[in-house]
Amino acid sequence: MDNTKKKVKIGAAGHAMNAIAFILLTLGSVICVLPFIIIVSGSFTDNTTILREGYSLLPRNITLSAYRTIFKAPQDIFQAYKMTFIYTILGTGIGLMVITMTSYVISRNEFKYRNQVSFLIYFTSIFGGGMLPWYLMYANVLGMKGKMFPIWFPALMSPFLVILMRTFIKGSVPDAITESAKIDGAGHVTIFSRIVLPVLGPGLATVGLFLALGYWNDWYRASMFSVNSKTWTLQFYLYDLLNASTAIKQMSQNSSISTKDLPTESVKMAMAVVATGPVLLFYPFVQKYFVSGITVGAVKG
Amino acid sequence: MKSNGFINNLATKMDKDAGSRKTGLVVSLIASVILFILNLPFASWLVLADPQSMVNSQQLKDEVIATLHMHYSILNIMDFVQRSKIGIIGLFSACLFALCVAADIFFIISAVKIIRNRITDKGLLGLIGTAKVGFILELLLTIGTMILPVFAKHNVHYDLFRPGYAPVVAGIIAVITYFLLKVFEAKEREKYREHGILKEFKKNWVLFLMLVPAFVYLIINNYLPMVGVYFAFTNFNFRDGLYASPYVGFKNFEFFLKADLWHLTKNTLLYNIVFIGLGNILQIFFAILISQVTVKWFKKSSQTLMFMPYFVSYVILKVLVYNLFEYNSGLINGLLTGTGGGKIDFYNTPSYWPYIITFFYMWKGIGYGMVVYLATITGIDTELYEAAKVDGANVFQQIRYITLPHIKPTFIILLLYALGSIMKGQFELFYQMVGNNGVLFGVTDILDTYVYRITTTQPLSIGTGTAAGLYQSLFGLAIVVITNEVVKRKNPDFALF
Repeated sequence: MDNTKKKVKIGAAGHAMNAIAFILLTLGSVICVLPFIIIVSGSFTDNTTILREGYSLLPRNITLSAYRTIFKAPQDIFQAYKMTFIYTILGTGIGLMVITMTSYVISRNEFKYRNQVSFLIYFTSIFGGGMLPWYLMYANVLGMKGKMFPIWFPALMSPFLVILMRTFIKGSVPDAITESAKIDGAGHVTIFSRIVLPVLGPGLATVGLFLALGYWNDWYRASMFSVNSKTWTLQFYLYDLLNASTAIKQMSQNSSISTKDLPTESVKMAMAVVATGPVLLFYPFVQKYFVSGITVGAVKG
Repeated sequence: MKSNGFINNLATKMDKDAGSRKTGLVVSLIASVILFILNLPFASWLVLADPQSMVNSQQLKDEVIATLHMHYSILNIMDFVQRSKIGIIGLFSACLFALCVAADIFFIISAVKIIRNRITDKGLLGLIGTAKVGFILELLLTIGTMILPVFAKHNVHYDLFRPGYAPVVAGIIAVITYFLLKVFEAKEREKYREHGILKEFKKNWVLFLMLVPAFVYLIINNYLPMVGVYFAFTNFNFRDGLYASPYVGFKNFEFFLKADLWHLTKNTLLYNIVFIGLGNILQIFFAILISQVTVKWFKKSSQTLMFMPYFVSYVILKVLVYNLFEYNSGLINGLLTGTGGGKIDFYNTPSYWPYIITFFYMWKGIGYGMVVYLATITGIDTELYEAAKVDGANVFQQIRYITLPHIKPTFIILLLYALGSIMKGQFELFYQMVGNNGVLFGVTDILDTYVYRITTTQPLSIGTGTAAGLYQSLFGLAIVVITNEVVKRKNPDFALF
């Protein structure tokens, strides 16, 4: 955009900086991507080759047998996929609503208790009962073990996402706008749905992506609260597969391949690809909103 | 109603004379002191009603009976719960104890504020607010103390307690002072054009309504589990269950102290300090690099590629690490043998793991942090750079004198947020990378993995696990509060709260 000015005065330091930037960023990108390539290669490599020669950057003895094994008896994977989709959609949808409403309220200067409410929300991130009371709350007090609720509900919102959203709303909807709308007779509901929501695109995209990612990548809650594989998430299914326990046995049973002939190593890689693929495909679409949606601010305001 | 009129008269009388605003505060100060003294362990809050049935049903030894008192206050009620081994009243009593301590803290704070005469831009409203909280807590405490005997009788089926004189006296004092303060507050509010919660609710009830879902969530997910820290003080067993397991005081903490406390704390702190420090440096470094790039496609693609690891779940990370470091088929050992070197048994050599774990933490988080800082950098006014160029500043000088100062606020805010979890620190990362590989625990065990392990392998360790969690939470809280105070002293604008 300002090419002309740059030509005028770029200087030796500028050239050096450009060179450093190109080299280091390329290096950084390569380091960040290489492990993915290893996984994808592994998923296409013949299982005996992996066992004999180890993993490599490029696939050798290319075969689709790992994917064929997975999708030979796909009911378990489809179940895990289905559950993950349900958790992700339900959690992200409800979470976005809760976060947006809350952030709107604490972003308004006319709301007297905004700082107190912000602090009550923030406080949960610096103090808590710990892992056990949290678990006992859902499993024993609410009696929710084995149900879907404790897998999606705990990740609905996080203090950090609320503050992120609040900073974004404060930046894109100044108090003057809502005040003048109020003078024109608009209520909070109208202001929120007609004035605030339409400009929240980047904020919603950013927070929504973080929420969705949290749900998609969850294995912890699924492991804590599941009593059988019905409520498993994709990642926990993969985790179980890696620990070579129930899932492998089930798979060999369903696909009538004996456990020892199962291409275990490449199946793990293929599962990793299947479990990560959708998120990575989704990211480029929201990336353009990202930089503008991700400004952070303080708790008080 | 009659007493209300009396308070009104009293208040107007006090308001008439000079400096009268403070007279109310002096009354509140005196009430605070009285209540504080009344809360001390000499006053009779609860009286043992039927010691004989208690002794029979609990089968207490004679030497234990000899140590029991007839009168208990809330501050030493837990002592009774422990000695008498009546677990079922433990949680209730602990809540009362917490209320009592909280009320005392508020009495102290408000007394200090009144003595130091802390008048803000809203007059005495701040002082009155603090004092009011103390009296409300005290009132709740007295009500709770009245209910405890009923609750106890319902559960142990005989009269365990009856309320003493103290809750009645304290309750009356709290109520009277509270209403007196309310009258003063109303006058003060008129003066500063402030309003209370009721008027705010009438004005902005829609906003309150919009907060309901968030509060339901916070109460279920965060605030109710906080009550569960009580389990840290019990000796959990399956016969009595969660609510009736006996209260044992600080025994769990002693056990945990002897076990691994220092070691686990050190590991947790060191890892997280490195994560936060090195992480932010790298993120800022790469954000600046990327902001210098003018070729659009390169800028965008390197941003995308470096963000990719952020999307990877920790389970996948486990796969990755395994692929790279496994003894027989790992890529690194493949390369080592390929170049003529010997294989390294990573999974049995603890000394490599701090580096491996740190590397993958950086790897996973760099893209995200980079974008956060990039967002701040793109927000900097470009005219600043133009002016600097005209003045002959080169790129490095521009970074030093324009970019870095502008990302300082973001850095401090991110730092303070990160400090909040400095004692929790990345359970999933450690658990997935190390798993149950006991060889590596010495260098990779952090508080969270320890808690997770002992509670999943030993079902009776709920007490110890909660104790570890509570220690972790309190330590983390202290770090955040102290850091925030330091930041506040230096520059109030940068403080988080």
